This record gives sequence, structure tokens and C-alpha cells, in this order.
Amino acid sequence: MVKDNVLAPTPAKILKSENMTEIEKHIELEILDKEIAKNFVYKPGQFVEVGVMGVGEAPISICAARKKEDLLELCVRKVGRVTNAIHRLNVGDILWIRGPYGNGFPMEKMEGSDLLLVAGGLGIAPLRGVLQYALSNREKYGTITIMYGIRCYTAMLWRDEFLHLFYEGDKINVEFYLSYEDSSDRQCYELQCERSDRCMQGVVTRLFGLKEVEPENTYAVICGPPIMYKFVIQELMKRNFDPKKIYMTLERRMKCGVGKCGHCIIGSGKNIKYVCKDGPVFTYWDALNTKGMI
Amino acid sequence: MAESEKPKIGIFSLTGCGGDQLMILNMEPVLLELLSRFDIKDFQEGSSYKEEGELDIALVEGSVSTKTDLERLKEIRERSKMLIAIGDCAISGCVQAMRNGQMSMAERMKKVYGVDEDYYDVLEPKGLSSYVKVDLEIPGCPIEKDEILHAITSLLHGDMPEGIDYPVCVECKLNGYPCVLVEKGMPCLGPLITAGCNARCPGLGLDCIGCRGPIPEEANVAAEVKVLLEKGYDEKYIFNRLRFFGGNFEDVQNLTKKFSEKTEKEEEE
Amino acid sequence: MYKVLANENLPAFFESLKKIGKVYGPVKVRESSYDFREVESLSEVDLTYTRTMIPPKKFFVKPKETIFDFDEEKLEFKEPPDEEVKVILGVHHCDINALKILDSIYMDETPDKYYIQRRNSSFIIGVSCTPDEYCFCKSVGTSYAQDGFDLFLHEISRGYLVRIGSEKGYELINDNKDLFEDAKPEDTEEFKQNEKERLEAFKLELNVSGIQDMLGLSYEDPVWKETADDCFGCGTCNLVCPTCRCYDVVDYVGLSLKSGERVRRWDSCMLRKHGLVAGGLNFRPTRVERLRNRFNCKGSFTDGSLSCVGCGRCTVYCPAGISFVEVMKKVRGEL
Repeated sequence: MVKDNVLAPTPAKILKSENMTEIEKHIELEILDKEIAKNFVYKPGQFVEVGVMGVGEAPISICAARKKEDLLELCVRKVGRVTNAIHRLNVGDILWIRGPYGNGFPMEKMEGSDLLLVAGGLGIAPLRGVLQYALSNREKYGTITIMYGIRCYTAMLWRDEFLHLFYEGDKINVEFYLSYEDSSDRQCYELQCERSDRCMQGVVTRLFGLKEVEPENTYAVICGPPIMYKFVIQELMKRNFDPKKIYMTLERRMKCGVGKCGHCIIGSGKNIKYVCKDGPVFTYWDALNTKGMI
Repeated sequence: MAESEKPKIGIFSLTGCGGDQLMILNMEPVLLELLSRFDIKDFQEGSSYKEEGELDIALVEGSVSTKTDLERLKEIRERSKMLIAIGDCAISGCVQAMRNGQMSMAERMKKVYGVDEDYYDVLEPKGLSSYVKVDLEIPGCPIEKDEILHAITSLLHGDMPEGIDYPVCVECKLNGYPCVLVEKGMPCLGPLITAGCNARCPGLGLDCIGCRGPIPEEANVAAEVKVLLEKGYDEKYIFNRLRFFGGNFEDVQNLTKKFSEKTEKEEEE
Repeated sequence: MYKVLANENLPAFFESLKKIGKVYGPVKVRESSYDFREVESLSEVDLTYTRTMIPPKKFFVKPKETIFDFDEEKLEFKEPPDEEVKVILGVHHCDINALKILDSIYMDETPDKYYIQRRNSSFIIGVSCTPDEYCFCKSVGTSYAQDGFDLFLHEISRGYLVRIGSEKGYELINDNKDLFEDAKPEDTEEFKQNEKERLEAFKLELNVSGIQDMLGLSYEDPVWKETADDCFGCGTCNLVCPTCRCYDVVDYVGLSLKSGERVRRWDSCMLRKHGLVAGGLNFRPTRVERLRNRFNCKGSFTDGSLSCVGCGRCTVYCPAGISFVEVMKKVRGEL
């Protein structure tokens, strides 16, 4: 094991691998080198480079708050070579990881405020970390509102967890809103019939019709497919949100994770950013100042 | 590994020189180890043994240039889980497609063989993907040993091999080969052509003739024409050169058409 | 500290370099190309060269290299061995300044181990140059290397005026005292005169004042489409650029399927896959976005310095004949 080499990954054993949908797996990893595990301190919104030897590495966001020092939770969607290879592996197999990388969400800065988490599809993964962190420090945050947009019921990630919040969240001051795109989805329709104040058919921005968002004391945290940001931000700006209080996390091809390989560079001459080290979490203010960010 | 667990593979030829199968046979240092990983059901240049039935992988070289080719291809596709086109012929028709979009097959028969009859049931030479679903294409005329080895190893490992979609220029620079286009004004097609040959020709001071084919949906053919015209090459020479391996490429066809329309007009005038 | 190395001592100086490590210098390759290659004797080196196609970055971030071999069964991987000491003789001002930019990236808070090892085991000797019609380092402020070298040789009639840039450089001079003498007033005069003439010899100029805002304001400018029509997207401009440092990583697995290597290779933001993410979304789908990105990146600051050092390589070696300065002038509205 080479410790001074940022490109050298460390082995992590798959403890749990659960199919959440046809294409998404929830994977729990144990970092084998305990010395490395001790220093593997991460916060919500950070990511790791996950590798399969002989195939390559892919940046995957961490989807849970840190509970135990050698434990890491990831949600892996099968979309490319590496993620396909990850999906082939079983409990007990080894993944090679590097990280954690990126800035993560400024959880301390958001203390004392309400949180509005807006997620589309797989975008819920990094926000789950934010949610878990906020729930384990419940007194530090106000109302937590979650707006989660899915395609259909079967594409919903961590379904049990989130349905529990959907029904019971209010007891811990968590308001969970759900939107679904597939108008023929029966299960979602039933949820909508049960709680028409919390569930709607359509894109995630429709949920703003169900919830009065208070811009004064709220931090918005967004993650979803690239197309989603523009529309969610439109809604927030309509409500006079401070651009510096809108956080979003971006996807790019972060091959090295440490600001060297250049694949995640965005912006113009005025303001060049590396998504991997300057982000992946940026504010809308950053986006206004950085061309091509969203 | 028990014989029954090995992936079943077939290696087939349609219209072409058979050079791609030969390249596989040329992989001497690893050939036995490589072949021992597979249950080989058909490999014409390697063995006279043949077996029908389902295949995990079919490697097919050669273009579809006759109706017989097409029937064989459909048959192979039907029996194979994965179909891989190996070599330019199987991807774009290669040199057989030189006059595609420019001259009908009847005209070609007349010009080459001096006959009006179609003795061979010919089709305009095309790659496999014009007719069937192709899972992977490995370019080359012939294919490169390293590339096919990496591709097959990746497949054994369970991964789809990653194709190269950058031009020969990249390999010239990685190797530090002086640019024959810029420095010597040679009619190098390198900026258009799919790399993977490790810039073999420019490395020897020769200009790339484009044997690995233009990068699909990426090569800027118009820019190449412009550059070569500026360097003093005449249009006919440029288009013949582009057509040698790129006859089936849409941009090459369109630009040739524009060029020949222009020439016709000039001749009329 | 300044010394003079007389012409007659040059061969002995070269021999002294060989004691430090393998010596690399600009060598003429084919008709008009130069390349930094390993040299055995001074006669192989042409210190009056204009520019090499491939900049000295190749010694530190290699065009293609194995970053480690892995063995999955043993949960092991092996790094390549450390590199031996290299003397790189004849590096121009612009290239030395470019290395400083690479340093700020590769030796930041998450440093690249390979880069550091190679940088620390290199001995850099700069040499003065005369600009040709493609050089514009004067315009971007990199026409003079203040530091970033061990020794710098400025040509004067009786040899070279030598600037000492590091302790290593000082040691070499100290170990070979006989070869060096103190600079005389006429040497200094000549050095000053030469510098004056050199700076006057620049033919190409690019105004970079406010270029960052101009690039930002020209995001939708037709210049990108116009340039993209001529551009091959071949990546040459990036690969020959002394400050471009993008790399790609590819794994190769051996036939055993248990061992293999991870390889990195220079990449280019002009290539199709550069902005592609898994699932097929490409953030820079056409040459228009890619060109714009490249020019914006070059026009931005890295650690306080402009990311272009004005060496002219991207223009000289562009197969499509696209001129960097011309495009930037269009961005500025000067053309």
C-alpha cells in the first residue's frame, strides 16, 4: 500500500450490495486498511473515486453521513464501463477507492436555518447524506423540506426510508414531497390520492406549488440531472432566494479527483473552476460567475 | 476452465482479403493462451473444424458486397449474442467502397469487367452495421494485434472494450513524431483518421493514407480538403485519396458530389 | 550570481553535466523539427534552436506511462521505479515559465508523486533565444525566466553569461571552478544589449490586458463557430502546449484477468471524449464548445500567471493553420 501517492487507491470490501432499482445498487464498503480508514473523514456532498482494477475508476458521491470510521455508503447507477463492473461484483469482493474528494456541503454554515432539499432521480444520493447529517444533529436545523422527483415508483431510491418520511416525517419536522413523471404509474397515483398535499404528478418543480418556501431563513440544496438545475433555480429566484444560499452539486468527468487531469474544468477565462476540487458543490452565485456551470 | 464454460466464439470472413483473421493468427506469443480461453466453433483460417449452434461472440471481417455475404451475416447475427466487426471492410466497406455514392454497381461492373450482367449478385459494398446490429467495431486494415488483444481480454473480463475515437495526430504527438503535414506539406490524412496504429506511417516519415478510416461523426473532412488545396494538391487527387478508405463516409461522399457537380459545371462552361 | 562560461570551456561543461545525470538537449529531427533527446556529446545539441515540437513537460508528465501494475489476487500494486536524475539542457524562457505553471498544479496540496520525484531529480539549464514570427512570450510576460532553473545560459560573443538559479546550480559551478570566470563589465554590457535586441525582435504581439473579461463576453461570439469550421479537433494544440496538462487514464488487464496496469496518457480538451460523462451526456459535444473551452482555459490564470506562455507551438503545429493569436485578436475585436 502506497500512502503518499494520490493516484493509489485503497482496497475496500463490499459488505452489502442491494439492488434498489434495476439500475441502482446501494453498496456498503469497509475500508480494509484501518489506518487509512481513520483518516477517511468525509462530509455530505463529497465523492470518492471508485475503481475496479482492469476497468478503471468513476467518481461516485457518498450517499450517507459518516457513522463509523471504516464504513462508506455509495449508490451506484449502472451507466458506464466502471459502474457496470461494480454491479457485477458481490458481497465480499473488493473495490479500490480513493478520496474523499471535493468540498462537500457546508453543513456548519447552514446551521440555524431551514433546509430545502430538491432532488431529481439519482440526485437524491448526495442529499441523503445531507439529510442524515441534519437528522443526527437535529437541533441545529429548522424544518427540513425534501422535494424528490422520480420517474416512477420502481425508480424511487431508498423507497422504504423515504416512504417512511413521507408518512411520518412531520413528527420530526421533516416535510417530504414527491413528484413522479410517469402519469400511468399506479403506485405513485395511490400515494397522491392518500396525500394530495405531498405528492403530485409531473416534474419536481411542480412541488413548489404545494409548499410555501421561506427564502429568508432557508438554504436550498439541489442535485439532479443537469437539465433540472435551471428550472429549480427559476422557482427559487421567483421566490427571491439569495443566490449564495442555493447550493448545488455538479456532475462532470472527474477522472483524477485532485485537480490535475483537467476533465472537469468549466468556466471562462475570467473564472476557471475544477469541479473536483473547487466543487462539486457550488452556489448559484458561483454559477452566475462561471460560464457553462449549469 | 471446463470446455463447456468457455465462451463460444466464431471468426468469420465476408468479402475482404482475410487479413484480419491472419492478424489474429499472427499473435504468436499469446495465441495459444488466448485461444485456450475460448471454445472455437468456427475459424476458417485457423482450422477446418466447424460447428453450428449458438455463439457468445462472433468476430466478422469483410464487407457485405454480395447477397451471399448478407445472408451469411444475418445467419451469424442470429446465432451470436455479440457481434464484433473487425477491420475496416466490416465497418465501412474499406477499399471496396471507394466508389460508393459515386458510381452505381452496374457502372462499376461495366468499367471493371466490361460486362452488363451481374454475375455475383453484388451489393454496394458496406459495413455490417448497415444491415445488422453491431455491438462493437475494431478498425484497421488490417486490425492491430494489441487492440484486438485488449478488446478480447476486456470481454473476457466482462467489460465492453472502449474504442478509440481520436485521430492519428494524437499518437504522433505522444511519440514526438515530426508532423509530415505541417513540416513537409505531405498530404497526410492523420487529422481525420482513427488512431490505434500508434502513428506507424508518420513515424517512418510517411503520410497517413487513412487506412483505419475517418473518425465517424467527428472527422472534419471539409477542413482536410481546404488544407490540402492550400498546399497545392488538386481536387481530384484529394478526393481519390479520401475515397481510398473513406468511400462510404457520408462527408466524403457529399463533398465529392459537390466537387464533381462543380467540375461538370466548369466543363459545360 | 552571475558567471561567464567561455566557449572553449563548453565541452568540459557538458562533460560535467554528464556526472550529474543523463543529459537531454534540443536535437534536430528530420528537416525542421526539434526534440529534447538524450545526448552523448555537445555536437548533437543545437542550442540555437527555435522551439521543440514537444515541450519539456514530457519529462515530468509523460506522454504515456504506467502509473502502477496491479495484482488483484494479492491485493497489491507496484509503482514504477523512481526516475534517474536528468539534466535538461537548453530550455527556453517560455518553457521554464510553463514548468512553473505545471508545478503549481502538480505540486499543490494534493501533489502528484511522480511529478514531484521527476521535478526534484531534474537539473534545468535554460538558454537564451531569438524570437521568430510565432513567438509572443513578450506579450504574455514570460519572455524572461526569473527562476525555475538551476543555471541559465545567456549567449554572448565569448560564450555565455550564466545566471545561477538554485543551490544545485551553485554547486555545479563550485565543483567546476576552472570552467567559470566572473563577468566583466563588457560581458554585462553585451548581455544588456542582447536583451534589448531580443525584445525588439518580437514581430507578433497580443494584448492580453482584460482578455479574461473579453473571453467571458465572447462566449456566444461567432468566432468559435468560424474557427471550428477549420479545426480538426485533433488535439495537437493541447499536446504541444507546454502548460496543457490534461491526462486520461486507461486500465489494461492481462490475459490472466487478475493482473494488469493502469496507464495515463496526455489527453486533449479538443477530443470528443474529454467532456463526456458515463451515460452519454457530453458537456462539450462539438468543436465549437471545445475550442471555446480551450481558449478560455489558456486565457485564464493559473496561480496568478496567464496559462499561456506565448511559445507559439499551437499555431506552428496546427495542421489546420489556426493561429492562436489571431483567434484571440478576434475575441478582442481587433480583427
